[in-house]
Amino acid sequence: MVQFKKTIMKTTFMLIVFFCFCLFTHQLAFAKNQVITDVKVIHASTGPDHVDPGLKGNISELRSVFKYTSYRLIKDQRMKLNFNQKGRVILPGKRTLVVMPSDMDGKRIRYLINIQKNNHPVFKTQVLLKNNSSITIGGPQFKNGTLLFSISGSLQ
Amino acid sequence: MKQTCTRYTLEDISRFIDNELPRDQQAALAKHCVHCPDCTHMIELCNSISNKFTNHFDQLSLTVDPSIIEQKFEQKFEQIQTLEKSWKKSWKNLFGFSGRYSYLKLVSIIAIAMIGLYTFQGKFFDPSGPSAIVKYVDTDFASVMIIETHKERHTIIWFSET
Repeated sequence: MVQFKKTIMKTTFMLIVFFCFCLFTHQLAFAKNQVITDVKVIHASTGPDHVDPGLKGNISELRSVFKYTSYRLIKDQRMKLNFNQKGRVILPGKRTLVVMPSDMDGKRIRYLINIQKNNHPVFKTQVLLKNNSSITIGGPQFKNGTLLFSISGSLQ
Repeated sequence: MKQTCTRYTLEDISRFIDNELPRDQQAALAKHCVHCPDCTHMIELCNSISNKFTNHFDQLSLTVDPSIIEQKFEQKFEQIQTLEKSWKKSWKNLFGFSGRYSYLKLVSIIAIAMIGLYTFQGKFFDPSGPSAIVKYVDTDFASVMIIETHKERHTIIWFSET
């Protein structure tokens, strides 16, 4: 009986050690090499006061900067991208947004963002995005308003 | 117990027997008893009761073995001591690392600490600063603005197509 108890205790101990080891090496064992990239295309205008329900979390910050009163979600595209894999989002007005997570810079994700119009690059930028955070790029005119692109990335 | 003499009370007589009266009163009562049969009778009665009681108590105490009392006392004392020790031990085991499964406790604490670290890792080790750092911007348009909101430090790049 005593021997049986000792065996149980030893097994429990080994399991706990194994669990700790797995937990500790989780990030190394399953290296985060995919980036969930979410692109929200928003039409901002000075029309009647309106915020799409899907945008309520993001808009408060934009409202503190822009004069727009109406924010409508035109498109929401979620992509699972590997590093150096391009993700394309078709935008209104013959525009295309190309996003590519290239690598990590410390704790930030390096993104190459390219906006094309009629297959010609019109805007190019490289940003270091905080994990689980977002950046807004805006400016293109569309239907009495402006297009805003909210790009968020999270490592997985 | 009827007392016809009213000079001394039963309490006075009882105190007289126990030699608790002041000297003069003690002597006065003794003198009085020479002439008063009632009080003498009362004194004898009280004395006999007192003697009976003392005898009975002596008999009782003789039947009890003092070694048994001593033994019982020692047993009780040991019980109290062991109880105290077990309390101290259990208290130590509850909060300390002593006891049989000390290594399990240690591993459990490490496991809890690691789970905590794993859970809050993102929050603790997230870089500070704006949501995005703009490394470069390349555009055909002249007007480009980089804005950082005050509250959540959200980065906005604004370019004008006109």
